[in-house]
Amino acid sequence: MTDVGTDRRPAWSEPFAPPNRAALGRSRPLPVDRAAAFGTADGRGVTVAIVDSGIEADHPAVGGRVVRHVRVDVVDGEPRVVEDDERVDAVGHGTACAGIVHALAPAADLVSVRVLGSDNRAPGLLFAAAIEWVVEQAIPVANLSLSSRKEALFGAFHHLADDAYFANTLLVCAANNLPGPSYPSLFASVVSVAAHDVPDPWTWFYNPRPPVEFGAWGVDVPVAWKGGGRIVATGNSLAAPHIAGLAALLRSAHPSASPFELKALLAATATPDSEI
Amino acid sequence: MTDRGPGDHGPGDREPGDREPGDREPTDDERDASLRRLVEALAARGAVALRLEPPGLDRLLRSIAEATVALFDAEAASIALVDPDGRLRFRVAAGDQGAGVVGLVVEPGEGIAGFVLATSQPIAISDVATDPRFDREAAAATGYVPRSLLAVPLESGDRVIGVLEVLDRRGGNAFDLRDVSLAGVFARQAAIAIEVSRTERDVVELVAAGLAAAASAAGTSADGTVADVAEAPDWEAVAADAAARLATEVEPGFWDLVDRLARLRAADQDRVRLAIDVLDVALRHLARDRRSASPGRPTRGPSWRERAAFETE
Repeated sequence: MTDVGTDRRPAWSEPFAPPNRAALGRSRPLPVDRAAAFGTADGRGVTVAIVDSGIEADHPAVGGRVVRHVRVDVVDGEPRVVEDDERVDAVGHGTACAGIVHALAPAADLVSVRVLGSDNRAPGLLFAAAIEWVVEQAIPVANLSLSSRKEALFGAFHHLADDAYFANTLLVCAANNLPGPSYPSLFASVVSVAAHDVPDPWTWFYNPRPPVEFGAWGVDVPVAWKGGGRIVATGNSLAAPHIAGLAALLRSAHPSASPFELKALLAATATPDSEI
Repeated sequence: MTDRGPGDHGPGDREPGDREPGDREPTDDERDASLRRLVEALAARGAVALRLEPPGLDRLLRSIAEATVALFDAEAASIALVDPDGRLRFRVAAGDQGAGVVGLVVEPGEGIAGFVLATSQPIAISDVATDPRFDREAAAATGYVPRSLLAVPLESGDRVIGVLEVLDRRGGNAFDLRDVSLAGVFARQAAIAIEVSRTERDVVELVAAGLAAAASAAGTSADGTVADVAEAPDWEAVAADAAARLATEVEPGFWDLVDRLARLRAADQDRVRLAIDVLDVALRHLARDRRSASPGRPTRGPSWRERAAFETE
C-alpha cells in the first residue's frame, strides 16, 4: 500500500495508477476483443438517461439528441417526476456528462432527469425517485454521477438497484471520493467508476476488487458547460459518463444484453496495462 | 424586534413629549431593579459561555479557510454552509482575492457549489475563464474570476453541511486528482469541527435565552426605563453574585450537561463521531418504531418509499 500521507494518492484511484495497472490486466474474464464487442455500433436504438443537473438541449456538444426532459419535484412531501419545461442546466454538469456520452455514442438518444435544483434538503430521496422512474421507463443505460451517503437509504437504494438489474437497466455510478456509505455505487449490481488520468475516452481499466470496478478518463477532461460554453474538469463524476457511453455502444451492438453481460463485456475489453 | 423584554431598553425609546396621560417617570428603585435583572441575566450567560469556551463558529471557519489556502498554496479559499432554508451561504473567505464572495447566496442546485452540495461529488475545474457566461456571473457576484477551482463537500456523518472551495493555486498549475482527494480528507475533518462548534453555539444560545426568560419571569412586570446609571450600585458585585448563585441554585443536571459538552469539545474526533453515531442509532430506532405499523409489499417487503420516510434525511 502506498503511503497516502506523503504521496497524496487518492485511495479510490489507486488501482488505476501506473504502478498498479499491471495487476489489473491479469484478470480478463472473457476472450472477447473490442471489434467483436463493439462492432460498428454508434448507439443507435439506445436511450441513455443523464440523472444530473439537467441538460442544455441546444448545446452543440449534445448534437440535438436530447429527446425528453424531466425533473424530480417534491409534491406533498413526496418526490415526483414531472415533465421539465424549463429545460435548463443551472450548473453545467449534466450537459458535461451528456456531451461525453454523445461523443462516444453519437446516435444514442439522451433523456435529462434533473435532480438538482428543487430541494437541497433531501437530495437522496430525489435521486431515488429518479432511479425508480428510469427503471419504469425501461431506459437501458443511466449515468449517475452522484450517490447518496445516507445510511438510512441503504435499503431503498438496494431495492432500486435490484429493480434496475432485473429490468435490464444498467446503472453507471461515479464512485464517491471518501470511504464510507455511497449508494448505489457500492452495490455489485451496478457499474462503479473512478477517474484515471490517461487522456483518452477509449482507455478504461477493470478492477475486480471492490469498491470501484472501472477506471475511466476523469482528469482534465474538456467538457461542455452551461451557456454553450466549455471548460476543463476533473472528478469521478466525469469518468462515469465515459463508461455510460461505452455501455450504450455495447447495448446498441447487442440489444438484448443484460446488465451483467454488459459489465462482462466492459471488463473483457478493458485496456491492458501493456497498451499504455 | 417586536416582543419587548426587560433587556430591550434604550435612551431613545421614549421622548418626554410622547408620554401618554397616566404615564409616569419610573422611580430610581424601579430602574435599579430592572437593570439588576439585566445584569444578572448577562452574568448568567457569561458564566455558561465561559464554562463552555466556545471557539466561535466564524473564527473556526476562518481558520479552516486560512489553513486551506496554506495547504494548497492557493490564492483564495471560501466556505459556504447550508442555511435552514436549504440555500448555500458563503460565510468566510481567506486569501487576498477571496473576500468578495462572503455573503453570496447560492440557490439549490445552482453553480458548482450547488452541484457539490447536492451530489457529494468533489470536482476540480480549470480554464474557467474561457467560459464567457461563467466569467460574467462570477465577476458580477464576487469581483474575482478564478482560472481554476476545486470544490469539495463538507460532510459530517452522512450529511453535507456545506462546500469548501479552493481557488487558483499559486504558480498556475491546475488542481489534480490528488488535490481532490486531499481536499476531501481535509474537508471531512473541518466538517466535524464545524458541527461540534455549531452544536455548542446552539446550546449556549438556548441556555442563555432560557436563563433570560427565567430572570424576567421572576421579577416584577414594571416597564422601567433606564435613563441614568450614574448612581448605580456596584454592578460588578451584582454580576459576580449572580454568577455565584447560578452555580449553587441551578439544578445539578444542567451543569452536568454543560460539562459534558465542554468535554465533547475537548474530545478527539473519533469520540465525537462515536457520540454522533450513538445518537444516530438511537434516533433511527425511534424512527423505526414509528414506522413499524406501515404495510409491506406482499412479495418483497416494504417499497423503497416506505423504507425511506421523508423526514429521516
